[in-house]
Amino acid sequence: MTRLARTSVWPGIALSAGVFVACLLVSLAFGPASLSLGEVWHFVTTGPVRGDLPNAIFWQIRLPRVLVACLVGAELAVAGVILQDLFLNPLTDPYVTGVSSGAALGATIGIVLHLSNLPWTTVLALIGGFATLGIVWMAARRRGRIDIFVLLLAGVTISYLASALVTVLMIRANQDMYAIVYWLMGSFSGRGWPDVEIALVAVPFMIAPLFFAKEMDILLQGEKRALELGVEVERTKRVLLVTAGVLTAIAVSVSGIIGFVGLVVPHIVRLLVGPGHRSLLPVSLLLGASMMAVADLLSRTVIAPNEIPVGVVTTFVGAPLFVYLLRRGRKG
Amino acid sequence: MSTTRTRRGLAAATILTVLILAAFGAVALTGCGSDASTGGEASPAASASSGPITVTDGTGTAVTMDQPAARIVSLAPANTEIAYAIGAGDKMVAGTSYDDYPEEATSLPKIGDFATPNVEKIASFEPDLVLAAGGIQDKLRSKLEGLGMKVYVVDPKTYDGVMTDITNLGQLTGSTVQAQQVADTMQKAKDDVQAQVASAAKVATFLEIYSKPLMTAGGETFIDDMIALAGGTNLGATAGPGFPTFSTEVLFKNDPAVYIADSGSMGKPGDISKRAGFDVLTAVKDGHVYVIEDSLIARPGPRLAQGLQELVKMIHPEASAAQ
Repeated sequence: MTRLARTSVWPGIALSAGVFVACLLVSLAFGPASLSLGEVWHFVTTGPVRGDLPNAIFWQIRLPRVLVACLVGAELAVAGVILQDLFLNPLTDPYVTGVSSGAALGATIGIVLHLSNLPWTTVLALIGGFATLGIVWMAARRRGRIDIFVLLLAGVTISYLASALVTVLMIRANQDMYAIVYWLMGSFSGRGWPDVEIALVAVPFMIAPLFFAKEMDILLQGEKRALELGVEVERTKRVLLVTAGVLTAIAVSVSGIIGFVGLVVPHIVRLLVGPGHRSLLPVSLLLGASMMAVADLLSRTVIAPNEIPVGVVTTFVGAPLFVYLLRRGRKG
Repeated sequence: MSTTRTRRGLAAATILTVLILAAFGAVALTGCGSDASTGGEASPAASASSGPITVTDGTGTAVTMDQPAARIVSLAPANTEIAYAIGAGDKMVAGTSYDDYPEEATSLPKIGDFATPNVEKIASFEPDLVLAAGGIQDKLRSKLEGLGMKVYVVDPKTYDGVMTDITNLGQLTGSTVQAQQVADTMQKAKDDVQAQVASAAKVATFLEIYSKPLMTAGGETFIDDMIALAGGTNLGATAGPGFPTFSTEVLFKNDPAVYIADSGSMGKPGDISKRAGFDVLTAVKDGHVYVIEDSLIARPGPRLAQGLQELVKMIHPEASAAQ
């Protein structure tokens, strides 16, 4: 632990920041409307111009979409780190807390009630996510403590329950079935500045866990040990759980349910920089954003003018990368 | 291990969950309030012509009936509309939960909904003819036929294909005359529209099926066919057949002159001209953004004639005004 703490975290962070900037630029430079690099640069320097169509393709369509993808990727990756380490369970992803299923239920209700797509579906998804977090929280509270295992089980149970309700709604309102299915699959299509604003709300919650990096490191050795070492275990757990819940709820409400990033990015980053949270958290944030930006780039360009569901891309890109790193990690 | 506190916490969580369940259950069940009565009596076939009748359905399968159908179950709202339009409404014994047109169809017993028709439920109405839809209902055919029912699949890919289905169903139900009248009405609407746009230039048109993700009507759909009939070029056809997702960037790049959003089966499109960035689109600037009722263009039935007339007003307002 002390060895980890002493190692400088900055090279790793700087490198992943470099990767992120590269991914961001590539995502902005390329798209199905094939603007030339010169044009893109011109739009960047002139800023948004009202009434100019190519300019609008960049400023109103491509840029906000890329930003939403980056933010959602970062949110899911950070939530993944927190939950995997709190639950001490490598299979945990942001969706096991039930928050995403609750959000899905909220969105489904929005769709079934034919509330126009924004902002009501998003708002209901947020409400659904938070409500689920509240239910799971109440279920896991005993003697003023949060029992992590009860929380995990309650989360999974609520998750199934909410999914069952979504299915019921889907069958009852099958005119809306496709809309619901597409929402559940997750997508950044049609996302614009209003979605960026919602996703931006999560930024403080992405940064907050950094202040608990030391506590999170110690918690990896178990709650008992952490208590002995003077960590305010319950307070830390509360803050981190709410943080992860909020991050997940916001991400899901904006994009729908996009798998794999929240599960795999933290693992990839652990293999790259180790388990210490002072680098694990920021590097996961940056690489989560990078991975989602690239996944969405592929989603919107490979079979243009069609789009591949972004969740399919995250899996196709992430799975081989993960297996490769796992094997390399073993040898090393 | 467990203490009173825990139990209280768990109980509170359970109660909350149950309450939420109940609320959603209520929402979910409102759709199926009217399916109490079953086994509606059908009047015997009125015009029993002699000899077996054979027609070819939307899947290319020959459907033969020894005598006109007397008990019909429809598995799609469009099929229900056709049955009523051709005067076979009195032979309908069951429809789907989504049958909303004509008014009489809403009081029919229900076999369930479009996506999950229940074979046992269908069989319980003892139909001699089942009107199915293509796609998700394909697997149903062999099961129903195994139970002795005749199945006609309505799965047209063009406007003319709908007319063919209508005349075919006229034969199967012994309503040839009225079916021909319906088909003639559709033909006349088509001829009128074609005459209006005969000399007009094709207008680039985008038809939005859904906004998040952006989806459109691709090629090999009767919507694509109808856009062409109404003097438009369907931008969505470049994305392949069926109902594909469509890149927003490519939509902007192609900048259609007319933007039509479908309202109904996939929710409401909202105010399209107020969407972020959409103000630069020619269709928005020129005020050629329209919303069309889903059932007029996405439901392969007789009301497509009305849909086609609506489309030409949107795509060629000048031509339809001149007539």
